[in-house]
Amino acid sequence: MQPDYLVVSGADKRFGAATVLRDLSLSVAQGEFVSLLGPSGCGKTTLLRCIAGLLHPDRGRITVGGRDITALAAHQRNVGVVFQNYALFPHLTVAENIAFGLRARGISKAEAGPRVAEALALVRMEVHGDKPVTALSGGQQQRVAVARALVVRPSLLLLDEPFSALDRKLRETMQVELKQLLREVGITAIFVTHDQEEALVVSDRVAVMNAGQIEQLTDPVTLYHAPASLYVLDFVGQSTKLSGKVLSSSDGMIEVQTAFGVLRAPASFMPGSSVAVAVRPEAMVLAPEADAALNTLRGQISDISFLGSRTQIHLNAPAEGEDRVILELSRLPAGLATGQEVSFGFRVTDTMAFLA
Amino acid sequence: MERFAKGLTSFALFLTIAFLLLPIVVVIPVSFTEAPIFAFPPEGFSLQWYGRIRNVDGLLSALGLSAQIAALSTAISLLLGTLCAIALVRGRLPGAEAVATFMVSPLMLPGLVLGIAMLQAMRELGLRDAWFSLLIAHVVITMPFIMRTVLASLSLFDFAMVDAARTLGCSYPLAIWRVLVPNILPGFVSGALFAFIASFDNYPVSMFLVDVRTKTLPIQLLNYLEISPDPTLAAVSTLLILLTIFVLFLCDRMVGLRRMSSI
Amino acid sequence: MMAPASKAQKLDPLAYLALPGLIFMALVFLAPLLLMLWSSIRGADGFTLSGYARVLGDDYYIQVIGQTLQLALITTAGALILGYPAAFALARAKGWRQVVLFALVFLPLTVSIIVKSFGWGIVLRRDGILNWLMLNLGLIERPIRMIFTEFALYAGMINVFLPFMVLPIYSVVRMMDPRLPDAAATLGASPWFRFTRVTLPLSLPGVVAGVSIVFSLAVAAYVTPSLLMGDRYMTMSMVMAKAFLNLRDWQLGAAMAAVLMTLAVVVVIGAAILQRRLGTAKGS
Repeated sequence: MQPDYLVVSGADKRFGAATVLRDLSLSVAQGEFVSLLGPSGCGKTTLLRCIAGLLHPDRGRITVGGRDITALAAHQRNVGVVFQNYALFPHLTVAENIAFGLRARGISKAEAGPRVAEALALVRMEVHGDKPVTALSGGQQQRVAVARALVVRPSLLLLDEPFSALDRKLRETMQVELKQLLREVGITAIFVTHDQEEALVVSDRVAVMNAGQIEQLTDPVTLYHAPASLYVLDFVGQSTKLSGKVLSSSDGMIEVQTAFGVLRAPASFMPGSSVAVAVRPEAMVLAPEADAALNTLRGQISDISFLGSRTQIHLNAPAEGEDRVILELSRLPAGLATGQEVSFGFRVTDTMAFLA
Repeated sequence: MERFAKGLTSFALFLTIAFLLLPIVVVIPVSFTEAPIFAFPPEGFSLQWYGRIRNVDGLLSALGLSAQIAALSTAISLLLGTLCAIALVRGRLPGAEAVATFMVSPLMLPGLVLGIAMLQAMRELGLRDAWFSLLIAHVVITMPFIMRTVLASLSLFDFAMVDAARTLGCSYPLAIWRVLVPNILPGFVSGALFAFIASFDNYPVSMFLVDVRTKTLPIQLLNYLEISPDPTLAAVSTLLILLTIFVLFLCDRMVGLRRMSSI
Repeated sequence: MMAPASKAQKLDPLAYLALPGLIFMALVFLAPLLLMLWSSIRGADGFTLSGYARVLGDDYYIQVIGQTLQLALITTAGALILGYPAAFALARAKGWRQVVLFALVFLPLTVSIIVKSFGWGIVLRRDGILNWLMLNLGLIERPIRMIFTEFALYAGMINVFLPFMVLPIYSVVRMMDPRLPDAAATLGASPWFRFTRVTLPLSLPGVVAGVSIVFSLAVAAYVTPSLLMGDRYMTMSMVMAKAFLNLRDWQLGAAMAAVLMTLAVVVVIGAAILQRRLGTAKGS
């Protein structure tokens, strides 16, 4: 396993007046799955296209396996791409689509045949080889697109929103299926997505992008529980945010005044600074026992939403204000009603604080 | 009431088709007559008028010239028009819509006006070569047909396919050839067919540009009709009709006739 | 101000592919047109409107313009009356029958206009098919003269331009949601009310397209009128051809061409504006 298999260093890309990539660096190990996560316009697709060779960065270098590919054109890079909506060739059959890359490399039809068959078997599409691609369902089209990209044994696989064309249920199945398939092949893969759940499911590490830069690059668990910034917090998962003022700070612990009361968080900010304090909804408990390790607050129930596997309770602050808390329970206690005032709490260590 | 409306529209369609086909169909029996006139019903049966086609002065050479001009002008329009359409669809050209309208506008202009303008310009430039004048004038005639159909099929084309081909190992020009061209072929075929017919049939522009030795088929036919009308014309017309049917059949096989309904 | 410069930089290199075609059309199409307009106002000693004065001040030419408009209007009206219901029947047909019917409407469009006009002449001759049919059916006792009559001209013109009316209406009607008249019926609308309030307004874009195409083609028609009527019914196109080919009176021809072009352009632009209004009225 090579730790620095794909390396992007100091990449800049501008389109006219707009800077889309800003001194961006990224390093991916061999066999690793990395997601580029961010809203549209954050530069994730541009980065993907730069790695594929469909765009060239204005500055910076891209290497794969130690080989500098910055100056190579797309067709010289041997980088596989699964496009958004797949970009299958409608004038060719499934098998011809898969054979396309082999034929473009000058491999004869006879030699290509067994490799196409192998690729079809890999994605379990053996019986569909002679069909036109337009006759396939969305999930089948995705498999053909993956087979087409993999059959040439690329050094790297790039996937641009590969699940966005599928409906929700199918998407969840295909995410797991594709992940297993790519593990089996042992390829290095970069996913571009704007769906944070998808990024958490499919990747070893997630790079959250913002305005042409990587804001945080880490494993999904750390990303969820220790987001590096408010931006990352907002983008990954749900959370309750309370604005407040730091009252005191000592030994890496701050006390913050919020609309719901005073609470503590592991951070060190100057007293008097404005902060946002955030908690994940599932980290909260209702009516906790008194415990020094907990922040305990009170609020009034404004809404109870039953979501099936869990229930969300919305709480208003006792004092006037916009701030609300969302609390998530897997089981709803009996006798809870809107308008009721309740106490709730969460571990101090689960409390995240950011400068506002 | 409902049934009455249906009956009425069906009758109108029947009438329309009969009316449209009448002058075309009537030519066929007349071409087999023995008499040297167009009388109906035709007398007897003979192929003599088909045999005489070869003997009519300038008819075959006019046919050759028309085919040549139509094919060349269509080819040039295909090249220039496709490049222009790609630029309009992909080039983020400011005022792309105005450019498209300009390229299609010869279609909306009376043919005679175009012919007169060309004639004047050629005279001003001292250009007296009829063949060359005809060729460039016919490129103007054919351009709108190509632009319209190629623009329409290009705007439906997913250019990610070109990127896909490139990442699979095709250079940019090869990707265009392997992926773009086959996918917009129906647009090419129907555009080229219409362009070819428009050029092949053109009278009002050509009439100002021909000279004594360089005459296109419609000009020559009309001349002949005015000078010595006999069933040879019916024979030529019959052959032209058969050729048209054959070409339409071919196009239907290739791209489907109804895709061409946007005239 | 840097904005224009940055805009120029942003121009995609693909945009330059438009240049060969654009330059060609500018030189071969636009320049000659401008030259023609210029020559229509260029006298022996500078600017003159005498060409236009002759076209618009002479009773004869006014009559020609009137005749041309009359011919175009009658042709358009005739094609609309026959073509509008026919387009509905064509859109209603299903499967192979529609393919065949469509081909039959489409075929005449691709047959040479000379061949059609020639065939029309055969149909209308004293010893032609129409007289022969009517004689045998006992409708008439002696052949009647039809060719070189205005009736022959109108019929011939409608014959040539009818497909240009049917096809645009057909393509609009084909896309029409067939449930809409049904929906109107469930709301208690009578067939006539349904037609005038639902079907007709929805088919209007096709009608506007068909009418503008047929009118602008008919107003400029040359081959059909000169073959079927000759000098007996002068149209603007025939005057232009005469002015250039026989009289060598370029100024007259250019002025007439400018008037004809204006007519055609006004119709086309008017139709485009109307189309846009119809489009926005539908809210789509």
